[in-house]
Order: sequence, then structure tokens, then C-alpha cells
Amino acid sequence: MIELQTARPFFEDKPELLQEILGRYPDYGRRSALMPLLWEVQRAERYVSEARIAEIADILDLTATEVRGVMSFYSTYHGEPVGRYHLQVCATLSCKLAGADQLTDYLEDTLGLVPGETDAEGRFSLQKVECLGSCTTAPVLQVNDTYYERVGRADVDALLAAMKEDVLPEPARVRAGDNERYGPAAPAGEEDA
Amino acid sequence: MKIHVNDVPLDVAPGTSVIDAVFAAGYDVPYFCSQEYMSPIGACRMCLARVGAPRKDRATGEWILDEATGDAKIFWFPNPMATCTTQVMEGMVVDTLSKEVKRAQNGMVEFTLVNHPLDCPTCDKGGACELQDRAYEYGTGESRFVFDKRHQEKHHALSEAITLDRERCIHCKRCVRYFEEVPGDEVLDFIERGGHTYIGTLEDGLPSPFSGNITDICPVGALLDSTSRFRGRNWEYHHTDTTSLDDPSGAALRIDARTGRIERIKAGLNDEVNKTWIDDGTRFGHEYADHADRITLPMVRKDGRLEPVAWSEAMRVVRDKLGGVDGTKVGVAIRADATLEEGVAAQALAAHLGTGRLDHAPRPAASVLPGGAPATLRDVATSDGLLVLGDPTHEAAIVDLRIKDALKGVPPADLLPHGVPIADLRLTERMPRKTEILTVVAPYRTDLMKHAGRTVTPPAGGEGALLRALLALAHARTEAQGASDPGKAADAALAGWDDAVGMSAADAAALLDALAAAEAPVLIWGGFVSADPDADAAARALATAVGAKTLILGPMANAAGLERIGVLPSHERYAYDPASSEVRAWILGDLDPAQDPTVAKRFADLDALIVHAAFENATTALADVVLPAVTGYEKEGSTLNAEGRLLPVRAAPVEAGAATDFTGVVKAYGEAAGERLEGRSVRSARRVLKKRLDVDLAELPDDGRLLPPAPAAARGARALPARRAATGSALVVPSLVRIEHLDRNPTLLREHGGPTLRMHPSDAHAHGLTRGEVVTVPVGGIPRRLVVAPDDGVPEGTWLVPTLPDQPVGLHPLDLDALRRERGETAEVA
Repeated sequence: MIELQTARPFFEDKPELLQEILGRYPDYGRRSALMPLLWEVQRAERYVSEARIAEIADILDLTATEVRGVMSFYSTYHGEPVGRYHLQVCATLSCKLAGADQLTDYLEDTLGLVPGETDAEGRFSLQKVECLGSCTTAPVLQVNDTYYERVGRADVDALLAAMKEDVLPEPARVRAGDNERYGPAAPAGEEDA
Repeated sequence: MKIHVNDVPLDVAPGTSVIDAVFAAGYDVPYFCSQEYMSPIGACRMCLARVGAPRKDRATGEWILDEATGDAKIFWFPNPMATCTTQVMEGMVVDTLSKEVKRAQNGMVEFTLVNHPLDCPTCDKGGACELQDRAYEYGTGESRFVFDKRHQEKHHALSEAITLDRERCIHCKRCVRYFEEVPGDEVLDFIERGGHTYIGTLEDGLPSPFSGNITDICPVGALLDSTSRFRGRNWEYHHTDTTSLDDPSGAALRIDARTGRIERIKAGLNDEVNKTWIDDGTRFGHEYADHADRITLPMVRKDGRLEPVAWSEAMRVVRDKLGGVDGTKVGVAIRADATLEEGVAAQALAAHLGTGRLDHAPRPAASVLPGGAPATLRDVATSDGLLVLGDPTHEAAIVDLRIKDALKGVPPADLLPHGVPIADLRLTERMPRKTEILTVVAPYRTDLMKHAGRTVTPPAGGEGALLRALLALAHARTEAQGASDPGKAADAALAGWDDAVGMSAADAAALLDALAAAEAPVLIWGGFVSADPDADAAARALATAVGAKTLILGPMANAAGLERIGVLPSHERYAYDPASSEVRAWILGDLDPAQDPTVAKRFADLDALIVHAAFENATTALADVVLPAVTGYEKEGSTLNAEGRLLPVRAAPVEAGAATDFTGVVKAYGEAAGERLEGRSVRSARRVLKKRLDVDLAELPDDGRLLPPAPAAARGARALPARRAATGSALVVPSLVRIEHLDRNPTLLREHGGPTLRMHPSDAHAHGLTRGEVVTVPVGGIPRRLVVAPDDGVPEGTWLVPTLPDQPVGLHPLDLDALRRERGETAEVA
């Protein structure tokens, strides 16, 4: 008989992690472990494949449909692989007014991607997202879990260049109330000048 | 609780929902998401009303009074309330007529229609659509939404039998909740969020035996039965409210027929039996009735070929043929889903011929009538200790759902003036299920086991040993209670336990404890127990020992009824045996014993073979006279379901030529023989039954009537002598899908796949069988064409084969050496 190669279950070699997550919830609320399990898989693999969905369903005694239902409710979970750098442009009102559309256009032109796509190399994914909750520093670009605030064209160029070298630069923090739209924060004491 | 709905004062029970109070008062309120037997969730916001209530002064505890009138002052809730999720309060006032409520309703209709395609002229639901009706009644007829509507998939095959139009969906969540709350198979869910939400599944083809019910409860045309899609408009259908003859649960059906064809079957409402649910085998398994090769005329063999003739001529041939045979050597057998009226006809015919060789088939070795304390389906749904032996999902599907009702622990709601409560607030989404009250015993892994706190897998045919062991233990424990040292005696009782019966001593003791502790225990068993008279006797004794009521699931729809009225041989020696060499002539109703080559050989030298059948088969191929039979959808009559409820069977208008039921056969025979036989018509049979059962079957209400159990004396007179339990390595198992009709039911065949031969994967490997391969193998003499489906829920050494009317549930010999592979043929296996 030919033995087919099957993917190893994700949690097969992580019994402690699995037990730790399941242990957070009482027995009757076992299904609550769904979100943390999805998150573990996504953190490691950058998306949750159908095989992983089935595996999680099996662990929690749910159907794959239910897992997919929960997963699809949250836009943070991905059903398709995303690039190593997941560029998420806030497209809600404050950022729109501060130029998020132009920012998206510029990223589209530079990367040759439309929102929702990943490049062939698997480096960049571009996505428009809803409010990132940082309206005071609009427009905001979130790369993986890092916020880049008040990003202008020059910032984007610098950021993309760094990421092409596989460096994720420290974000430049901008103080609230600073009306200078682009560029690094003004040195302390100069703002009143 | 005293409340006011508009101008109507009303006294309702505490816990009633406001929506039910409104309907009870005779007013109407629109709703989409509520459904009689599911949890109210307030999702659609359509049932809005203005609601107010008096308030008590916190300091004094007195009602705050309205200074102007001196009555309790009504404090209106700040917003319109969803009445389905609001409970009544003392003194509550509900307003469903004011301008404010009208405005709220107008707004909700407009909002619900924002993304609805309004394609009613091409929609199958048009004319019977809750959304359409409500939009006319409660909408303004105008929309301010001038933008593009949401576009989604219009013809999504959710399964082979159900088509989903995602644009029409209004996200009421009935279907999603249904799967979780009713059958407990969560195979459908909302995917995505907000305006992008749609219903979908990752499970291949909605793997639940009850999936079709979502097409009934969908308030719009989003979920449609594929067998009837685009086949007719609702106002063109002729509706027939009848009872399913598919299995012994007696589910209510509504058959929709048009121009002599059955277009679809929907569930009927019978609060005591099926509520509003039916299984997929019943719902989608009707296409065979309209199949082109129905026998529509009587046929007589002339020069070796069957020639169509008139009934009168066919019956002259029957009369002449039977005239030459010794009456005692004629056998009469009808299928166990014949109506009671047909049973009376068969009895009259047998009496006229002077033969005691009368029987219904399949008939298990043991009686299917419960003894002392029969359980009704309501008893099942309210039980707190259930022991199930068999596979109710496949034997009587509704019983499966009523068992799941019991797990919720919510007894059936009392009826209100408008019927079943629309919003039963005791039901919630994802209720905890009391799985610990359910024990399932079956020789392989059954669907119901997923829901059982305790499962037992005895060896195939080992139910008798298990039940006897349990019975002995129950008796020993009772005796131990009277002993000087009860603890020690109880341990001694356990000491002799043999785990080989399928469960451990500790489990057995726990099971008996659970049954003893239960206030309303119920024992349910089906074909595996009835196939073995010893197992049956032990099951009855165990029920008595633990004080449980009993429900027995017979092999076919009316097995209990035909046994009850005595469509039985005068002596067990004369039981239906088509291979018997004593019988010189057979009159067979809907049976096909000649599938077995040995029987076919026997039949070749009969003096007369008269077959009443709807389709040509191996037996009609040998028959001297073939008489056209109607299907269960076209019969007028009555049936007795497993719980002992008499239910009306009504005829749908289906084009079937000169076909009749068995009363028609007897009528025509009587005319040819110059005799007026009892049971020559449904009416004449009912006169006989009225005398015997003291019930006028012509007057049966839609939801039937419970027939009191037969007096013990009457049963004793017809006591069935024990027949021997069979042996073999093929276990013929019950099937929700009628295998004998599957080839003529294309939708169901695609949905269900062909009949399967299930075995443990190691057995499949040992015989070099691969999944999906089509094989032919003799099972108990009948060559069966089956699709190989390895299944690790089947114990090693046992091969599962779905039942046929001519191959009853139980063990049969399996000739694996004669297994033949159908070269190159494979089939999908669910």
C-alpha cells in the first residue's frame, strides 16, 4: 500500500501549549479556546489553512464550519497566506481625510499590488482595513503588528526599502497635537518657536 | 399574568413572550427569525412593538399611580421592543397599532429589503413567502435605497438536494440555529461579518440526515429543495396533508403535486409527533413515484410474455388460476407499510380463500407491540433516563429528534390559542445538553452515539446476552437490597459480570443506577432486539424491572398496526416464507422475494404467482398476473405509528393509470368471484376496523389519536411463537433512505450515494477492497450491489448492509467468496 504523505498536525508536538490554552477555560466552555488556537496557528504560519481548521475543529469537538464561521468574522485571521510584511492601510474617515487613499494608491503603484494581493515573492501583502484607532496620527499604516503613523511618501519609500532588506525599522513616534503632517517629530522645546 | 394587548385584556402564563401574547390576543405582528420550535433571538427586529409596564415605588412597594386616572401609571420602554425576546410582566401594556409602531415596522421592512433582490417573479417561494407577505402588509412599497444592491452567488448547491441563493438571504439565522438546536449537527454557519455575511459550510454536502428542514423554515426563497426548483408556482400545487409511510414514526407530511406529479414534500405540523421536522429520506425520496416505468395497467402472462389487460380480465385469470389450487396452499403477504385498511382487505381475501398463510413482511421474530406501559413520543421527549438499543436515526428518524428534545430538558410547550408558541423563551441558543441521561447500545457506531453520555457496543447479535446480563444484575441488586449486608451483596451481584457482553460491570451498574434514579425512564429498541425473541423478552423484562415505559421501532411504517389488527398467519408454521415448498400459489403485495435466486427457482413451478407492485422487479418477471399498485403517497387509509397513534393517510393526486391499493385488488377479485368481500374499499375496511378498534378512522384528526394498548387477553390469543434468531457475518442495518427506491430517486441518490457495504478498514484491506468501489455480493441469498465504504465505527469481522423490505434487519450469512467487483465502476461515498 502506498502511504500518502500527510501534513503533521500543528499541535502534535506542542502538547504543553495545547494543554495550557485548553486549561484556561472550564470544560463546558472548551469551545472558547477556539480563538487562541487560531491565533497560535496564524502566528506560526501567517494564515490558517483548511487542514488546520479541521484540526482545531477536531480538538474542540466542533465542526470545521463553525471554526470557519468564527475565523471569518475577524479580519485578523487569514484564510490565505499573507506576505512576510502585511501592509494594512487604515481606510476609515480620519485617515481618509489625512490622505489614506493617496497612500494606498502610492503603495499599489510602487508594489504593483491591489488590496488583498500578495506579491509572488511572498514578501508584501497589501490590505485596506477599517479603523485602527489611531485617528490623531492619521494616516496610519500597520505592518504586521507595528503602527507607522503620519506616513508620507518619503516614509513609505524608506519603509519599503528597509523591508526589502528584511529590516523592520522602529516606528517614529509622533506626539499627539503636533500638526506637522509628515516627517519625524520635532525635537523637544522647538515646537513653540 | 394580566396584560393588555392594544384593547384586549389577557391573562397569560408567566414566561410567555410578548409576541405570543399579541397573537393570543388575536393581533398580528410580523416576524422572520422566530420559529415555533427554536430559540427566539431577536435577530430580524421585525416584531417591534411599543411596550410599557407599571412600576412600583422602591420606597413603599406600591404601584406608582397615574394622578389623572388613579390607575397604575404605565411607563413606556424608551424604544420599540423586539416582542419575541421580551417576556410578559404583570400589568404590561402592548401596542402594535400606533403610528410609532407602524413607522418602526415600515423602517424594518425597508431595511430588510435593502439588499434583497426582489426577484419574486422568478422565485420559487413567490406566493408563499413570508418576506413577500410581510413586505406587502407592513411595508410602504417604496425604498429610498438607490445604490447598487449586494451581489452574491445565486445558485449555490449547498448539497445535492438544497440550493442556496445568497442574494435572497435576509440573515434571520433560522437555518444556522436549526442545525445546532434540532439535530445537533452544526454544519452550517454565518461566514464573514456585517454586510458581507453569508451562510456557508465547510462540511461536504451538509452531512446531517435532517438537512432538508431548512428549506421549510427559510422565510424567503434562499434555501430551496432542488427536487422542486423551478417546477411550479405555489398556487399551482395541490396540497395533500398526510402521514409518512416511510418509517414507523408517523411524521406529518404535506405533499405538493401538480399535473399528476409529486413536485415536493414538505414537513407537516404534528406537535405530538414530528413537530415540523422530517428526515431527508422522507423529504427527497419521492421522485420514484413519478418514474416513467411505473406499472399502470394490470398484466397477464400470455405465451410467456406479460400483456396489458383490463382489471376485469386480469381478475378472471386470477380467479381461474386460484380456482385450481387447494385454498390452504395459497399464501397472501403484504408489505409492512400497507395501511390498516389494506390489512383488512388482505385478511378478507385470505379468509375467502380459506388459507391461514397470511402475513405481513418484513416482520421481525418478536412482536413490535409494546407490552404494559407503552411510551409515546412525548414520553420520550420528557424522559430523564433513556436506554436506546438500536439505531433510531435510521429506524424511525423522528424518534432521534425527540430523544434530542429530551436532552435539552425542556418539556413540550402548552398550546396557545394560536397553536404552538412562536417564541418559547425557555429555549436558547447552544443550550447545555444533558447527555448523561442517554445510553445508546448498538453493534456499530451510530449517529446518535455522538449525543449519548454512555455508549455500549455489544458484538453483532449480542443484544440478547447484554440484556439478560443487565436483567440478572437488576434482579440481583434488588435482592441485595433486602440482604443483611446490602453493600456486600451488591458487590457479589457484580462479581459474575462478563465484560464480553460489551460493557464493564461498573458501567452496567451506573446504567441501572441512572434508570432507577430517573423519574420517567424509557426503553427504546428496534430491529436488532426484535430480530431475537430472547433479546426481546429480556428487554421487556428489564423495562418492567426498572419501571420504564417502552417504545419499539418496527421495521416499516405500519408494522405495529398490521400486527395489532392481526394480519398474521393462523400458526407460526405458516409464517411468510417465500422459499416454502408447501405453498402452491402466492399473492404478494409490494414484495420482491425473487431477488433471491433460490426463491426465484421455487417460484418458477408455482401454480399461480400474483404480484401487486408499482414497478417491475425480479418477482413480477416470474408472475402470472401483475397488478398495478399505488405508492404510499397515493393511498387513502390509516396507519399506526410506533407509539400507537392512529394517523390518517391521504392520497395525493398522482397520475398512476389503473393502479390501486390492496383494497382495490380485493374489490376486483370479489367482483370476479361474485363475492362482496370485507375490505373491498377503504370505507368497507373502516367499518370492520370500527368494530375491532372502536375508532371511526374516517373521522381521525390530522394529528391522529392514540390507540389504547390492546387488552392482554387479545394479545395472548395472537401470541407469536418464538422464531430462532439468525446468524451470519453480514449485519443488515436499518436505513433512513429506502434502498429499494434509490435507483429511481436521482436527487436522493446523488445526495446519499449508493447503498454502502460498510466494514472495518482492516477488513477492507484484508479483502483488497478500496473506498468507492462497486461490488456485488450475496447477502442472505440476495445478490446486493453495494459501494465499499470502510468505516472505523464498524467492529472487525462485521459487514454492514442496508436493509431492503425483503431483507429484514439482523444477521444474515455473507458469502464473501462470491464477491464480484464491478470493473471500473466507482461511486462517491458520503
